[in-house]
Amino acid sequence: MTDPASNGEQREFVERWRDNAYGCFSSGHKFCREVCPVMQVTRNENHTPTAFHANIVAMEKGLVDVADVADDYVHCTQCGACELRCPNSLFTGDFYRHRTQTVKVVKAMRALMVETGNEREGWKLWNERLAAHHNEPVLGEIDVSQEHVADWAEGLDIPVGGETILFVDCEAAFYRTSYTRAFAQLLQRAGVQFGLMREQWCCGGPAAEMGYVDLARRHAEHNVADWRAVGAKRIIAPDPHDFIAFTEDYPAYFGDDGAHARFEFEIVLGVELVAELVRDGKIALTEPVERTVTYHDPCRLNKRKGVHEAPRELLRAIPGLEFKDVDRVTQWSYCSGGGGGLPVEKPEITAEISRRRVQRAADLEVDALISACPWSERPLSEVGTLEVMDLFELLARSAGIEVGGHTSAEARA
Amino acid sequence: MSAVAFKSAVDDAVVEELRAILGDGDRVLPNVSSRVNRTRVPAPFPVHRWGEHMPDVAVLPKTAQEVSDVVKLANRLKIPVVPRAGGTGLSDGAVPMRGRGGILVDVKLMNQIHEIDLVDRTVTVGPGINMLKLNEALRPHGVFYPDDPASYPCSLVGGRIGTGGWSLLGSRFGHTRDLVISMEVVLPTGEIVEIAEGGGRKLRKSSTGLTLKHLFTGHQGTLGICTEATLELVPRPETEFAAFFAFEDYLTAHRTTGRLTKSGLATLAGVVLFDEWKLRYLRRDDEAYIPQPESVRAVIAVAMYGRRAEVEPASKIVMELGRADGGRYLGDEISQGDWASRHDRYATPLHGRTQDGQVVPMSWHCEDAALNYSVLPQVREEWHAIVDRYIREYGIFDDWGMFAYTNGAYKPWADYLVEIDVGIWEQKLDETSWDAWVRCKREISEVSLKYGGSMTACHGATREGDAELVPTEMGSSWEVVKRIKRALDPNNVMNPGKQSMDEAYE
Repeated sequence: MTDPASNGEQREFVERWRDNAYGCFSSGHKFCREVCPVMQVTRNENHTPTAFHANIVAMEKGLVDVADVADDYVHCTQCGACELRCPNSLFTGDFYRHRTQTVKVVKAMRALMVETGNEREGWKLWNERLAAHHNEPVLGEIDVSQEHVADWAEGLDIPVGGETILFVDCEAAFYRTSYTRAFAQLLQRAGVQFGLMREQWCCGGPAAEMGYVDLARRHAEHNVADWRAVGAKRIIAPDPHDFIAFTEDYPAYFGDDGAHARFEFEIVLGVELVAELVRDGKIALTEPVERTVTYHDPCRLNKRKGVHEAPRELLRAIPGLEFKDVDRVTQWSYCSGGGGGLPVEKPEITAEISRRRVQRAADLEVDALISACPWSERPLSEVGTLEVMDLFELLARSAGIEVGGHTSAEARA
Repeated sequence: MSAVAFKSAVDDAVVEELRAILGDGDRVLPNVSSRVNRTRVPAPFPVHRWGEHMPDVAVLPKTAQEVSDVVKLANRLKIPVVPRAGGTGLSDGAVPMRGRGGILVDVKLMNQIHEIDLVDRTVTVGPGINMLKLNEALRPHGVFYPDDPASYPCSLVGGRIGTGGWSLLGSRFGHTRDLVISMEVVLPTGEIVEIAEGGGRKLRKSSTGLTLKHLFTGHQGTLGICTEATLELVPRPETEFAAFFAFEDYLTAHRTTGRLTKSGLATLAGVVLFDEWKLRYLRRDDEAYIPQPESVRAVIAVAMYGRRAEVEPASKIVMELGRADGGRYLGDEISQGDWASRHDRYATPLHGRTQDGQVVPMSWHCEDAALNYSVLPQVREEWHAIVDRYIREYGIFDDWGMFAYTNGAYKPWADYLVEIDVGIWEQKLDETSWDAWVRCKREISEVSLKYGGSMTACHGATREGDAELVPTEMGSSWEVVKRIKRALDPNNVMNPGKQSMDEAYE
């Protein structure tokens, strides 16, 4: 049982999320279940969005408290499939402007877990390291620190500061640097002017996803201050996870209603920018890539942000490439398992989700799986049965760019 | 009363023994969260006494042997066993009876496809697989498994078998029991048996011995737990046709429904009749129905599946019959769109309204009587009158109208699954209003029985309000039911108390 001192926090939480939970509870149709990547693996009813909501009703009734249900909420990648598949959102969403919120509920419950002393050990350690180094610990032997945050850009001659800032995700700065080098060079090829931050900290998104709200906010405040200090107007986010943090978390931190100034930055999604540059003829894809590939819709693009056209448009623009597509709705139930802190706490579930995703690709008889999110590329690559490439890496090859850097596999070696 | 398992005796020693059987602590779940989340189904729930419906422990077996060993343990110690697959049913088959607790056997991990036999046209699966997921795997082979309930995206094969499920495409392809060829079942005493028509696992018809297959479909988990099922593979239909027709009055629509269902068109998969309460309900917030004029008081939906050579000429006959008596075709967009969304739109809590029109989140009760064609108009009037009384008296109920769906497998002409949908404001439930709801439900069921119907076509009579009427509905065959139950489950451990079957032990 939780310390009675935390009853107040728990009551506040229930008060905030009860009506949303009742929307699910009183419907109870569980259409979300078979699209949930975690549930598909564990088949445990506690690891379902319906349980995430029912627990709140049960909390209100005094049947459970946060300690009893904490483990349930670890089992989520925050991919958002359940929200898309919810009949409430699908069929009354437009009329009532209603959308069942589940990702936010999971984040809020994890915050409550931190607040009430129900932390998970793995996440606690991860966030302690983040607090110490200000970059995501990337979980491995890579030396993560401010000294090395721009090592990936060696030889590319990218200035610091300017109106347009390229924000580089920690995974992409330290682990899969080929991703970032490919993206930066595509922009350079098209003549896009951009600079790096003076001191780039983690976006704070993963900390927020694990419930470490204050730590996340401190990182956001640092980054925004750094952007303001150089007079930045536009932030380019190639990584879908950062894009979520900048378009959802940051505006909530720096909205008009608080003590802070308005969140004034234009946030540009990398894949949409590159698609525009290719469309406008500023990046010429001239080198044929004789490969047969399929595309993995990253959850935070497809399910969270409805971005699925641009990556497909780009894949179809690569000469010589045979692209075997799987539609975006079918992919609602696909995931790499890499998001929402799941690989930190439940690496075996992440590995199984990725194994199944790669198997589905292999069933199409392709020789590579193309993703557009570095967070997915590590677990998908670790399956080891099919080559996993990033879309930017593939585009760079077709544009005749020598990318350099390393992919996760090489980084581990 | 003989020694029967009315109250659970699950203690630490039992949990340890379960752990030894499953050999994996993660699949024995005595924690409160695991129990809380296996206590209810989507049907309106007495949320004010949630705690009284909890199992004592849940287990997630992976094999028939594990299920068998768990059931043997329960039978030895006279502990109730409650089988649960999806837990998406609209009655209480998959949850413990109030105050009884017990071991809940959750079969979701048994979701493997064991064999796809394209030569003899069967697929053999575990009971934890979902039909949509199964059909994703079958699609490349040009075949499908046509069990298509409203819960198609979430319900599981084991629950479909346990409840005796009904399919929206049943008139063309059969319902669950018609689509199960054979199965492996763990009996209440723990033996693992093969239940088939006779002989092998892949035969559709036999006269050897007794026909046991139907006994083990639709028993509501009272006779055993299905651990494997061999199912029908049907050629994937080349085409689908759906048409919706609007009428100014129910009786004309009822007549047209009769003509359509008696048309002899073999590709007819289903005919659905909506009444004016249903139209009024849909007009609240459904973009397809809001623009329909007030004069529209009934709608018929027709769906056909098959080869183009069959469906295309048949569709012309449907269009003629649908319009012959004043029906107005609602157009391709509504027809195709409504039919395509048949699983998703069936009930969301935001449709709920109090008497003064306030939107409140309501849970959905779906009555599912089986009734003959001839009595539909009369039953409809009596049902609405009952619900109206309770709406006025208690203020937490809402009449969401009626559907009548063709009910006979391959024989759409004579009987219907008749649904009256009642919204219930669960948040407001207390002992008094729950008791009122049970009375309301019982009155609805009594009307069904009065007109020679059955109170449940597919959900099972496992809830209060239905369960106590099972002996009445079964009549002279109730004695047979009790003898079978007692013979197979001497200690009354298998889903005890459901359908008034405790009477078998009195």
